[in-house]
Parts: sequence; C-alpha cells; structure tokens
Amino acid sequence: MSTAQAQGRVGRVEFTGSRHELMLVILRGYTLMIPTLGLYRFWLATWKRRFYWQNTIIDGDPLEYTGNANQLLLGFLFSLAFFLPIYIALFYVSMQDPHWTLFGYLGAGAALWFLAGYAIYRARDFRLSRTLWRGIRFDQKGNGWVYALRRFVWSVPMVLTIGLIYPWMASSLWHYRWRNCWYGDRRLDIAGNWRVFALPYYVTYLINAVAIVATVTWIENARSFIQIGAIGIPAPLQLLGCLGCALVFALSLAWYRATTATRMLSSVSLGEAKLTLNVPPTSLFAQYIAYAALVLLFIAAIALVLLIALAALYATAAQNGRVAETSILDLLQHGTINVVLVILLYLVVLGTLGLLAELVLGLGWWRLLARGATIENPDSLLTVKATVEDRTLVGQGLADALNVGAY
Amino acid sequence: MEFAARYQDGLVATVRDAHCVIDLAAEPVALVVLDSTTRDIIDRWPAEDVYLLHTRALELRMGNRRKPSGARVAISGLADMQAALSVLPALRSDQRSDLWRQLRTIVLATAALASVIVAYVFGVPLIADRLVGFVPPSWEARIGETAGRQMEATLTGGANFQACDPDQTSTANRAIARFVTATFDGLDSPFTPTVSVVRSDVPNAFSLPGGRTYFLSAMLEATHTQDEFEGVLAHELGHVYYRHGMHTLIATSATGLLVGFVLGDMTGLSVAAAFGSALIDNRFSRVDEAQADAFAARAATKLGFDIRGLGNLLDRVAGDNAFSRAFALFSNHPLTDERRRALEAMAPAPGSQSNTPFFTDAEWAAIHSMCPPVAMPTPTAGPVTTDAPSSTEPPSMAPSAEPSVAPLSAPSAPLP
Repeated sequence: MSTAQAQGRVGRVEFTGSRHELMLVILRGYTLMIPTLGLYRFWLATWKRRFYWQNTIIDGDPLEYTGNANQLLLGFLFSLAFFLPIYIALFYVSMQDPHWTLFGYLGAGAALWFLAGYAIYRARDFRLSRTLWRGIRFDQKGNGWVYALRRFVWSVPMVLTIGLIYPWMASSLWHYRWRNCWYGDRRLDIAGNWRVFALPYYVTYLINAVAIVATVTWIENARSFIQIGAIGIPAPLQLLGCLGCALVFALSLAWYRATTATRMLSSVSLGEAKLTLNVPPTSLFAQYIAYAALVLLFIAAIALVLLIALAALYATAAQNGRVAETSILDLLQHGTINVVLVILLYLVVLGTLGLLAELVLGLGWWRLLARGATIENPDSLLTVKATVEDRTLVGQGLADALNVGAY
Repeated sequence: MEFAARYQDGLVATVRDAHCVIDLAAEPVALVVLDSTTRDIIDRWPAEDVYLLHTRALELRMGNRRKPSGARVAISGLADMQAALSVLPALRSDQRSDLWRQLRTIVLATAALASVIVAYVFGVPLIADRLVGFVPPSWEARIGETAGRQMEATLTGGANFQACDPDQTSTANRAIARFVTATFDGLDSPFTPTVSVVRSDVPNAFSLPGGRTYFLSAMLEATHTQDEFEGVLAHELGHVYYRHGMHTLIATSATGLLVGFVLGDMTGLSVAAAFGSALIDNRFSRVDEAQADAFAARAATKLGFDIRGLGNLLDRVAGDNAFSRAFALFSNHPLTDERRRALEAMAPAPGSQSNTPFFTDAEWAAIHSMCPPVAMPTPTAGPVTTDAPSSTEPPSMAPSAEPSVAPLSAPSAPLP
C-alpha cells in the first residue's frame, strides 16, 4: 500500500450491538441484584461495559474492555474511607449551635462537590486504562486532584455569574481531560475551545430563560386555577404552556448536546489521525421524545393495573355483600405485607425507569457517537506502541460511591 | 487442523491476518500462528498459557498469560470456533473455573453484607447502650441544650417557649419537682431532670438529653386524671434515665453509612436511602419507647399510681388509625394498641397496690390549672380528639432534620 493511498483512506466506526441484547443483560443484572442485596451492580456495570465496548468496531477491530467486577467492588470498599471522616464531622457538627450546623452542612456539600470532580476523573481513568484496541491500552494521565480543584475553582465564578461563564469552564475541563488522554505511547489532542460552546450555550440559555419567564408570567396573569383541596394548580391551557416549556427544553438540549459533541470531538486528533463526528440533533431529539413517550406509557400501565386491582376488590366486596372500604382496610391491616408491596412497587418503578433510560438514552447516545464517527488517516495508528500498564488503579470506587460513574 | 484468525502481538497497534495450526505433537499441545501469505511462524502459544476473553457472539478471543496483556488470537465463525475449542479443552474448564470464582466472590460478599445488616439492626442498640456510658453527662447536657433550642424554634415558629407558671416555688411546680425526686430516688443517675410546663397547641411531652423535660399545655388539657399525668411524666423521665436521646444519636448516626453501602449511594440523597434509614432507625426508636414505658410502669408500682392512665391518655391524643396500622414499620413509635396492651400487662392486679394518690387534691388541682386559657383557642380541658395536630399526621417516613414531634418522644438532635 503506497503512502498516497494510506493518506486518503478513511476509517469507519460501526456499532453492532442490539437493543434486545442489552435488555437481556440489564434484566439479568436487576434480577440478580435482589438476592445479592444490590452487590451485583458491579457485575452489571461490567457486563454493560463489555456489551458497549465489544460491539464498537473501529476501523475493523473492536474495542475490548478488560476490567472486572472484583476491581469495582474493591474500589468501592476503599472509597468508604473517604466517607467516614465526613460522616464523623457531620455527626459532630449536628450537635453544635444551629448556625454552625448550617455552616457544617454547607461545608460537607462543598466537600462532596469537590470529591465528585475527583471521582469523575478517576472513573474515566479506570475505564480508559481498561480499554484495548488492537492490543494497545488507552490511559488517562494527569492528576485527579488537580482536575477536581480545577472544577471546584471554576464553580465559584459559575455561581457568581449565574452560569454565564460556562463555555470557559467547559473548555478548560475538556482540555484537561482530553490532553491527558493517551493511546499507547501517543497522546490525544483537542483543538476546540470556548468558542465551540459559546453560541450553542448562550442560545440555549436564552431560549429557556425566555420560555420559563414567559410561561410563569402568563400563569400569574391568567389567574385561572383549579382548586384541588387547598392547592391551586394552573388551568389546562396553562399546563399546556408548561408542557411547551418542557418541549423547548428537550429540543434545545438535544441541539446543544449534538452541536457541541460534534464540534468538540471533531477537533480531537491522535498524531496524524483525526476524528470527525457528526451527530444529527434531530436524532437525539427523537430519542428524548421516545423516552418521554415510553415513561408516560409506563405510568399509564401502572395506573391501569392499580385501577383493575381496585375494581376487583370492589367486585369481590360486592359479591360478599360487604362495603369495599372496610375490605380495603382489612387488606391494609398487615404491616409487613404493606412494606413488602411498597418496596416491590418501588423496585419495579425504579427498575423500569432505569431500563428505559439505558435502552433509549444510553444506548442511543453511544450509537449516535459511534455511527457518526470516522477517522481520517487511520493507518498512521499502526505504529503506536504499547506502554507499561498502569496497575496502580484500584477500581473507580469513589465514583460508584458518589453515583457518578456512567457506562 | 487449520483455521483463519486475526493476530496482534500487544506491542504494536497492528492486526495481522493469520492462520492457526494446532501442533498436537508438541508437549504440551501448542497453538501455532502462521502468516497467511508467507506461512512463516509468527508466534507459538502453549495451550496451558492460553485463556479465553469475553467477546461478541460468534467470536473466540484468546489471550496469553506469558505474553503482553494485549496479545490476542481471534477466531470467528462457528465451525472454526468449535474446532479450536475441541482441541483446547483447557479453555472450557478455565471458563468454568472463572465462573465459579466469580460466584464464590459474590456469595461471600453477599453473606458478609447480610450478616453486617443483621448485626447492625440487632446489635447497635446494645452497643449504643454501652457507648452512652462513655459520654460525659456534661457533654450530653450541652447537646440537650442545642436540641432544646432547635425544638423550641420548631414548635413555636421561632419564638421562645412561654412557661405556664414561671414561679418555681408555686404549689404546682413544687409538687412536680417532688414527683421527679421520688421517681429518681434510689436510681443511680448523673442527671437531675427539670420539668417545665409550657404553652403549645401540640398535645405532646418530650425530654431532652441531659434531663430537661417539657410538658406541653395542650397535653395537660387532654389529661383527665393524675394517673394519666404521672404516667406520661414517668415515661419521659424514663427516656432521661436511660439516656435515650444520646442512645438514638449514636445508634442512628451509622445507619446512613450502612444503607448507603447497600444502595451504592453514600450521599444518601436518594429516596431509597431515606426509606431504608427510616425503616432501621424507627425500629431502634420503638425499642426505646417500650423501655421508657416499662420504666413508667415500675415508677407506678413504686409511687402507687395506675399505669393504665398512660394508655388512656395515649388513646386520646394518638389513637391508631388505619393508616398508622398499615405502615407501623415506618413509624418511630409502637402502635398505641400495642403499647396499651403492654402497659396493661405490666399493671399490678387491682387491689394489690395502695391507692393513696401521690399528689394531694390541692396539688393536682394546681397542676391541672397551671395553664389558664389566655391565648389558647379551646379554653376548657375538654377531651382532645384524635384530630389534634400531630397525632393524625402520617407517621414520618423519612428522618427529618427537625426533632421529632411524635407523641411522647425523646427527641434526638438532627442527624446527617
């Protein structure tokens, strides 16, 4: 193959996983989480990652995830050490003067916010250092504490400017993450800066601010409320306005995410190889709508089941010549059964919402990224060499503890 | 036997098309990787070093324990896969033993977690009992003061408590002090409880760590006989004697940690975490309430009042309804029915006890009229129905940051 041919070739990225396959993985995971008191969540996370990684084929070769669940479990145990001091401090503070108590809670909140930055970085490190492509490992270098500090310091002007400084914050954090990212002995680079974020961000900000202020003012001025007990809720027409607000939010968010991801990730390069990405905003918006529709359908189904149960109760009560209310009360007399029912309902609702989110939004986003990506000059990557493996990482513990680990 | 494969050495990011041959003559059997065009030997993997990796359907991906961690031989296609597996039987058993290892880890971890939970739920009240002994009484009194201020602000909407009868030398106040001294007489306690009757439209009474005890005026209005008054007061003094406030503080402070561990969310922000904590903490609380009731019953025997009065008063201000029965496990107090039955079981047989009342008629009259109706909307001591505030509210499902105002509680300081 001549150099000229190699220069012109474009590597494609495919995604071969099916929604059905992922659903089976998640359902099996949820089922096994019950007898294991939730501990199976580390195995579920591992199986989910294996699914996503091995089905992502970059220029003909799949990604490989080499992490395992034991590492996640161990990391989680380690992370508990972070929480003990915070818990003890909070315990002490809660017994002090009320003013100090408030101060203490704010302090704990700030500490958690800071730790979340560290956790996000470490989780990324964990995933990347366990990702192989063509037998070569990725790695996240840099320092998690520096990243956490950077994120924390940026948060102050974020609050002071009511979010207006975000494009600079985002750019700073993206740079730190991507420029410390390695494939074998070659470092990734990202060229995009705050200008990429500015326009989509401010337009989204403005549209949503206008929509919310307008709707609130309209509801205030319309003064038509439906009284439900002592609480007045806005009339149907105004509620439709709220729905409009939500639609505007979903549409603008889809546009913002698709545009910034497209432009930022299209500026990523690895030596002479360059990534190009195209995420169509309409596809992302369609996912949001599909998710909302499925959630509504699920709520309707739950309501229907409850209604049928109630109807059956009334029917049996009428058959036995009793007042339905008393038989409902009889049913509720058994405390333990009620607790089990409440917990079961909670698990079903939570599980279904989690499943839908993963199948529609999680898989959807990954697929959009994979299918919209191409690599220019992929043959320049053939010479990347392996480096010594980073074996110091014990899990992504803190991320699991703080609930920030995704994928 | 020969099959097509993809080979990478784990040193350079290059994947080569290769052919694999199983060398059955070698000892042990080896996988030989040949270049597909030149047929030169690229690599030679002894079967004992080869292991299987998780991968897509219809692909067999193998690594080598003695080679760089990224070295791979990948075989695709059902026929080739089956052929490879049949000559490398160790791969299958490897996979099985890995499955067993995983299973063992998860079963062990689950058993450990389950035993921690059981030990926690049943053991912490016992450990907290011991630990309370190490807390200096002066420290407990200071915590009580803080909790008292928070409680006061909650109950009066930011204003301060108004004592019904600020004169400590009045007949009523001296009579109550005499009752407290008599109850604690002979008991080894570092605390000298002080009782204040204060104005509030919440029918409740509570004691704080360190011994400060409050009897709210709405509760006094609901009280009909001196047995009832003495029963409630003795119950609250029981909380002081057993140091339940401190006990609760210690016992519940670790619950968040445990529940967070099970649910994987140490921040405790999720609904499930609050839900789980409430289930466990309220069990601790119910144990304490039963203990305070037993203390009151012993005081009743000693001082000669009828403990059943406590049950009667409870019925009036905190009778059970269908809701509280249905969700008893979420409540921080035992069901009134159950408490009443337990109290009746503890009451001595009728006639076996002297029935000289503890308070003289003049003293009881003074106590009962301590809070003249000034600001209260319902002036006379008519029976307070179960519609009184706080008694028919659904039992708290989540531990709140405010002190509990459930009937007859020993409030704990707010916890994280």
